[in-house]
Amino acid sequence: MSADTVFSLQNQSTTIDYRGKVPVEHLDYGYIEKCKDVKYLEQILRVLRSGDEGIYPHLIKFCESHLEKLDPRSRVLRKETPVATAASLSNDEWSQIVDDLKTWQEETKKTETSLKQQSMFDDLVKENMPPIRGSNCSFPLSQTSVPKRNPSKHALPCDYREWDKFDVEKECEEIDGNSVKNDPAAIINTGHPKLKTKVDASLLTQQEKLLLSTREKDKGNEAFRAKDYEEAVAYYSRSLSIIPTLPAYNNRAQAEINLKHWHNAMRDCLRVLELEPGNMKALLRRAKVYNHMGNFQMAAEDLRVVLREEPQNAAATQLLSETEKKMKECQPEPHSKGKKILIQEVDEEDDNNNDETKAEHTACPVEPSQPVGGEESSAAPAERGDMGNAQKKPHSRGDGGPHSDFTNSHQGHWRSRGGSSDKYKVTQESKEKVANGTGKSGSTASVPADHSNNGKETPARGNAGETVNLDAPCGALPPPLARLKNEGNLLFKNGQFADALEKYSQAIQGFIDSGIDSPEDLCILYSNRAACYLKDGNSQECIQDCTRALELQSFSLKPLLRRAMAYESMERYRQAYVDYKTVLQIDTSVQSAHDSVNRITRLLIEQDGPEWREKLPDIPLVPLSAQQHRREGPPSAEVLKARAEKAAIDAERKAEVRFTALKQEGNDFVKKGQYSDALGKYTECLKLKPEECAIYTNRALCYLKLDRFTEAKQDCDAALKVEPTNKKAFYRRALANKGLKDYLACSSDLQEVLQQDPNVQEAEKELEEVTVLLRQSLASANASPAKPRTTVPITEVEGDEEPAGAPASESSRRGEDIIVNLQPTDACQFGQALNAARCSRNTAACADLLASTAPEMLPKFLSTHLDGDNISFIIQALDYHLLEKDPNLVYQHLNNLHTTDRFSVVLMLLEKNERLHVTQLFEHLSAVQSTEFTKNDVQNLANKYI
Amino acid sequence: MSSPLAKPQIIAHVQKSLNYTVFDTKWIPCSAKFVCMGNFPRGTGVMQIYEVEHGDAQLIKEVEKPKPIKCGTFGATSLQQRHIATGDFEGNLNIWNLEMPEVPVYTVKAHKEIVNSIDAVGGLGIGDGAPEIVTGSRDGTVKVWDPRQKDSPVANMEPIEGETKRDCWTVAFGHAFNDQDRCVCAGYDNGDIKLFDLRNMSLRWETNIKNGVCCVEFDRKDISMNKLVATSLEGKFHVFDMRTQHPTKGFASVSEKANKSTIWQVRHLPQNRDIFMTAGGAGNLHLWKYEYPAQRSKKGSDDMDVGVAGSVNLLQNATLSTQPIASLDWSPDKQGLCVCSGFDQSVRVLIVTKLNVV
Repeated sequence: MSADTVFSLQNQSTTIDYRGKVPVEHLDYGYIEKCKDVKYLEQILRVLRSGDEGIYPHLIKFCESHLEKLDPRSRVLRKETPVATAASLSNDEWSQIVDDLKTWQEETKKTETSLKQQSMFDDLVKENMPPIRGSNCSFPLSQTSVPKRNPSKHALPCDYREWDKFDVEKECEEIDGNSVKNDPAAIINTGHPKLKTKVDASLLTQQEKLLLSTREKDKGNEAFRAKDYEEAVAYYSRSLSIIPTLPAYNNRAQAEINLKHWHNAMRDCLRVLELEPGNMKALLRRAKVYNHMGNFQMAAEDLRVVLREEPQNAAATQLLSETEKKMKECQPEPHSKGKKILIQEVDEEDDNNNDETKAEHTACPVEPSQPVGGEESSAAPAERGDMGNAQKKPHSRGDGGPHSDFTNSHQGHWRSRGGSSDKYKVTQESKEKVANGTGKSGSTASVPADHSNNGKETPARGNAGETVNLDAPCGALPPPLARLKNEGNLLFKNGQFADALEKYSQAIQGFIDSGIDSPEDLCILYSNRAACYLKDGNSQECIQDCTRALELQSFSLKPLLRRAMAYESMERYRQAYVDYKTVLQIDTSVQSAHDSVNRITRLLIEQDGPEWREKLPDIPLVPLSAQQHRREGPPSAEVLKARAEKAAIDAERKAEVRFTALKQEGNDFVKKGQYSDALGKYTECLKLKPEECAIYTNRALCYLKLDRFTEAKQDCDAALKVEPTNKKAFYRRALANKGLKDYLACSSDLQEVLQQDPNVQEAEKELEEVTVLLRQSLASANASPAKPRTTVPITEVEGDEEPAGAPASESSRRGEDIIVNLQPTDACQFGQALNAARCSRNTAACADLLASTAPEMLPKFLSTHLDGDNISFIIQALDYHLLEKDPNLVYQHLNNLHTTDRFSVVLMLLEKNERLHVTQLFEHLSAVQSTEFTKNDVQNLANKYI
Repeated sequence: MSSPLAKPQIIAHVQKSLNYTVFDTKWIPCSAKFVCMGNFPRGTGVMQIYEVEHGDAQLIKEVEKPKPIKCGTFGATSLQQRHIATGDFEGNLNIWNLEMPEVPVYTVKAHKEIVNSIDAVGGLGIGDGAPEIVTGSRDGTVKVWDPRQKDSPVANMEPIEGETKRDCWTVAFGHAFNDQDRCVCAGYDNGDIKLFDLRNMSLRWETNIKNGVCCVEFDRKDISMNKLVATSLEGKFHVFDMRTQHPTKGFASVSEKANKSTIWQVRHLPQNRDIFMTAGGAGNLHLWKYEYPAQRSKKGSDDMDVGVAGSVNLLQNATLSTQPIASLDWSPDKQGLCVCSGFDQSVRVLIVTKLNVV
């Protein structure tokens, strides 16, 4: 085919009607390649696939690939794919999926059991429910609030035949199209104005709260993706009102940014940073907010922190360059209000100060009362973090940074001499605060302020101040040593580390020679020399000095921090990690330590894989006395709540670990036969988790082995309360009952076991044995004169074994059949007795049982055993035995019976002959003359049953 | 869909053959268990509970009921109780405690004929307001029930006297974002879709999609109506943007054809409302993603807001069987886990991967 024809054909193709047949010539590589008409190509492909013109697999493939280039979403390209199986994935991928699924299954199992245990709180929740909708409103289907459509259209609903005639394409176009109509305004469903931003979750359990809060957050995410930011904020707020979580705060911040609600966004960022100081997203978002609020300096600070952690973060890089550009555009004003004090103190040429002035100035329109503004003050901990970073990476931040920490502390030292290292640290902090306050340096300004105070200010004051300082007394140091130390400090400040090192070494030497007993001062000297070593890059020596300092003063902050840095620089990350962690235990607000821990964690995971923690040396536990908790301002209620949640989760986890350990120990003791030891362990376990069925049964075993049957029985009862079908618990209770010589209870327990699992041979054996014992005991009881229907129980167990006021005292009596004669005190006993009687169809026993049961207790006892059989059995018992003896009691029983839960449902399921019994009973009852009830009462009652 | 590797995969994890026809499957919330409902060849109903464990589904419990069970839902129960509400062939609505499934917790003769569809809201923390169950039946009525009220429905939507009774095939709750607002959407065999506003007790909107409506579902029940998907007998489905309702044009929609065969069911991913799966009559599943337009509403020529529909992207498809897949349910707890059952008398647990990256 020549190019010309192709061209003409192509021109034609624009006018081709797609319903027509595709000419054979078009089924050609050349034509297909040049064809740009997607619809026509689809048609060609269809023809090719149909095979009407012959089968050309390669041409089909070519056509497909060409079409894909033009329109990758074309429907014709959709192919049916068989379902994938495990085999169609790589091994890694599949095992990952399977592992994921497995962990989820385990988790859900736990969730489920905890849910089950909490089910008793159901009623509470119900009270909180909205009322039932106005009853049985019915409205017709065709009544419509919308005026009827154009009469030319079909009246709806339409008939089958009518919709056969529809041209679907046309209709679809009409729906999507723009045909104009009149009539009322459009309804726009923007849910958020009516959306409550608070959820009352007070009645929910922890599990439910967690699920609910995640769900609300997810809804927020979805709204966010649909660019419905206001709705997203509303849902995030709902999530936060249930359980405050980091991601929800973080996401709400982003949504607020998109809505340009800068202050709200800032508040959320700050909350995140309060909970997790190194959170990258929050920092980035805060930078964005600062940027928009015109606070470029702060924005740049945050961005630099982000970039230090994630150098390849594109968003941060871009924003930083933007911010810096804006910063340059904004010219600083030399003297702004409210800066006076600072300017008086600081040299005016200080360019750091210029930056600061500008930052202050630009921030002014937004935050007029900066030093005390709520947001700023809560920002403070994080700001200090920035300073911490400055200590950590001094060389990237100009020469101001490193000095600040060092000299600052020593100024504090000079001013108020602290005896212990704890105090020493505190004074430093207070000094910082003083600097921040008086300098009005707000927050970030603290770095430059420190710098100017120490680095520049001191020389500016001249030598006079210096000499005074040099002779300042230093704790217990004799004047010559104090002078050496101060000289060292000064040299260090000036960056002459090697000289400072020498001075400190001299001081240390002199100190040791003089034999003064002041470990604090020696510790400081070592620590300072360590700093010099660190600056010189001599990490080995630094570590040695720090270790010495720590031997003198364990858990002192600075040597630890320095040693950590030294370790880190030597790439001994594990030791560094441990030291940073220790630092954090002493003072959680050391930002540099937080950052480093995060960084090292990542490195360690890379290095050691997921089990990196196991390779760590032990992290020493810092005594409370050495810990310093300092936070500015009371944290907001939500943050407190979040912290409490976190603490609760931690505590739970700890308890969990301890629990498993105890349980394991207990099990080991059992294996070794040391039952009393095991007993102790299990008891402790139960203190941690009183709802663990397995522990109860285990402890019951121990009691059994120790022949403490009463306790064993109590434990089994407890276990059965948690898990009503636990086989082991039944079996062990049977053994306990046997030990207590309560053979009837024993046999009923054993029967329960066998009913659940007929293969338990031990139970069968026991049952045989117990039946014999039961016979004997009954026979002996029969010989005793206790003949009449006893409401006074005969206790055959040793009296001292049953604690006073014990809930149950059961006994049995010998008749022709097994006669149940007991005073049930709870639903479980009642149920057992009832079952025993029913199994032998012994209505007399049941009557006895009912006679000894208070009528008003019947519904409670019966609630779990309510079924058709039981009801008809009870009815029969009442009818045959009790009615002649005590019709009043029968009436009262009947009067209470129908109040049992689910009674009406069960009643409906009664068989015909069972109903007959009921009718009979009421007939008999109405025939009885009584003072307690009239015929009318009986009739009323009967209506409830029949 | 940046690269083929990022595409979600539909993986058959467990397949179980059953000795009865299964009509509906539902995950039990907060567990790795699901319930299958159906009927035995001998004409009785059955509920089975399976637990997914070690790559297999273990039968935990089986209960036989006198009447075949057509559909079920957990939507109106609390997380602790987790009672299932079912509709059967005789028109009964029952609520069962799966721990003790012998006797129903609640029972009512809801309809004269088979209950085709059931949905519920207000439980499980999904949807504010009272727990309510809606049933749609062949007798043409749609009824709303409150499990706390015995015997009579709280709302009843029925054709007026003399009107032809259409078979209601599907019902769905939506718009339950606060205590008062709530909507029920019903689809009928003649292609009618009706939206009932339960707050005002009125018909809010209706349309016809020309073919029997097999399934309707809101993308979320517990938010202000956002999207509604309706699937039809001849293989098409429609996605309505429910945010902007034009007085005459109603809601904007986009339609897409998955297959030539009936789309039996549509289910939105519980973790992402813009992803949904359709189950087709030829035993295939299609996973879709809805893309919002740049502006969700615009001014029409009559100076009124009119909605703008987005577009629908096919993410993945898979053919499971030659028989229709009649029910599908995503696990509310585990993203990507779903269970589906078909008329080939088998139930399958599927895993859909990479849903978090699309």
